[in-house]
Amino acid sequence: MLRIEGLSAGYSAKPVLNDVSIDVGAGQFVAIVGPNGAGKTTLFKTISGIVKPSGGAIIFDGVDLLAVPPPQRAHLGIAHVPEGRQVFPSLTVMENLEMGAMTESGRRDWRTNIERIFEWLPVLKERRDQFAGTMSGGQQQMLAIGRGLASSPKLLMLDEPSMGLAPSTADFIFERLIEIRRQSGLTMLLVEQRVAEALESADHGYVLEAGHVVLQGNNATLRADDRVRKAYLGM
Amino acid sequence: MEGFFQALAAGLLIGAVYGLMCVGLGLIFGVMRVINFAHGDFMMLGMYTAFYLFTAAGVQTLFGNTVGPFVAILLAGPVLALFGYVVHRTLISHVSGTRTASLEGEGHYAQLILTLGIALILQNGGLIVFGSVLASIRTPLSSSAWELGPIFDMSIFLNKARSIDMIVSLVMMILLSLLITRTRIGKSLRAAADNPTAATYMGIDVDRAHRTAFALGCGITAIAGGLLATNYPFHPFVGLEYVIVMYAGVVLGGMGSIIGAFWGGMTIGLVQQMSTLILPTQLQNAAIFAVFLLIIFFRPQGFFGRVVERT
Repeated sequence: MLRIEGLSAGYSAKPVLNDVSIDVGAGQFVAIVGPNGAGKTTLFKTISGIVKPSGGAIIFDGVDLLAVPPPQRAHLGIAHVPEGRQVFPSLTVMENLEMGAMTESGRRDWRTNIERIFEWLPVLKERRDQFAGTMSGGQQQMLAIGRGLASSPKLLMLDEPSMGLAPSTADFIFERLIEIRRQSGLTMLLVEQRVAEALESADHGYVLEAGHVVLQGNNATLRADDRVRKAYLGM
Repeated sequence: MEGFFQALAAGLLIGAVYGLMCVGLGLIFGVMRVINFAHGDFMMLGMYTAFYLFTAAGVQTLFGNTVGPFVAILLAGPVLALFGYVVHRTLISHVSGTRTASLEGEGHYAQLILTLGIALILQNGGLIVFGSVLASIRTPLSSSAWELGPIFDMSIFLNKARSIDMIVSLVMMILLSLLITRTRIGKSLRAAADNPTAATYMGIDVDRAHRTAFALGCGITAIAGGLLATNYPFHPFVGLEYVIVMYAGVVLGGMGSIIGAFWGGMTIGLVQQMSTLILPTQLQNAAIFAVFLLIIFFRPQGFFGRVVERT
């Protein structure tokens, strides 16, 4: 569904991504793990068009994504749940969800989507009229996920959903994500620093270090790999 | 006592129009974060557009002297909105929005120079095209009044034209609030203002949202300008006098708050009229800024301003 080939990108002559190739098949749950500053967020921003690549290709659903203007990419079926949540603080929870549903498919499926989102993340239903800026970090994260789901995406990209959250809250959000995926069969691409949890639930994983893919494989291979065990799993 | 209420009434009438004028600028600043120095001159263009629509384009013959001016003023709104749209597309978009999001200062320096340049061109171009003779959009209502009362032996006189100006302002304000809070376009404007990057992730074209806000802001201020012109004569350099009031109103209301801009403008109208009770008329504008400084001293973020920075 998403094929990234030899992608290089960076900010004004400082390369962050170097010849990165990643494949996400339809229905797959793919995790990208790696330390701070490895280029994970830049990779997502390049997919969404906020960062312009200096080389390589991104093919989404048979479309050359780099030829599509950034705001149009959401309409193709890419939902980006950004790092640090980035909900719209002065909009209510409901309005945030409506912004997620700006795409054609999101508008069409609004009723069924909102029902399912409220079922998966009931806190959003309770707080539907609250301003997003006044919610806790965990609640904002759930809103950001709900906002992404509201667009009826083909691919849900999650950038560190556990960032800055208490471990129990992060666990809860992980558990929700796995439940959402189990029920919807949605294709997901996850970037995470909580390597153990990410690799446990994903079908396939990539290890990104200093802008390079240093390792990839299905979840059993990665978790059995010595380097991963030592560097990330603390074993 | 009667003088007090008379000044209060006059302040409320003019304040509503100032409020609308400030909202036009507040909308542009709130959504785009662009400091538009040319906004007073867009208003000047709105005044002349209403003037020529009324006198030369047949509105006067069609609607008469009483209703005609207000029809012309309302029509000047869409005309200036279109003008604003074109100015944004051809000029402002080059120094704002996603194009400059990654630059230091987000392109604010270029915006200052560009909008100042546009202001100069409009002022001097206006002088060439319209001439330096004072113009005004007079209606018979401008020189007649309704008598309120007598209540407790007091009568307050409300200038008819200014009263209708206030009603038009309030109706515009209500329509705009509904647009901003209830419609898909309005919500996407607020989302683009809150977080342009996240808005892009939602599939909102931020540059187009900016263009909409700019056009809307120009149209609204043009209507406010036309309303002012029913009582105050104008000339090509009139924008300078008002742009300072506009910025004071927007800052007072809280930078970025659209409803705040209205109350900021209202406050300025009230202070301006009430100050005549104790100060000579020449000091009206000095009084505005004395009160402005006082309010900003105690509430630097303005009435409705958020203290937190946007993420």
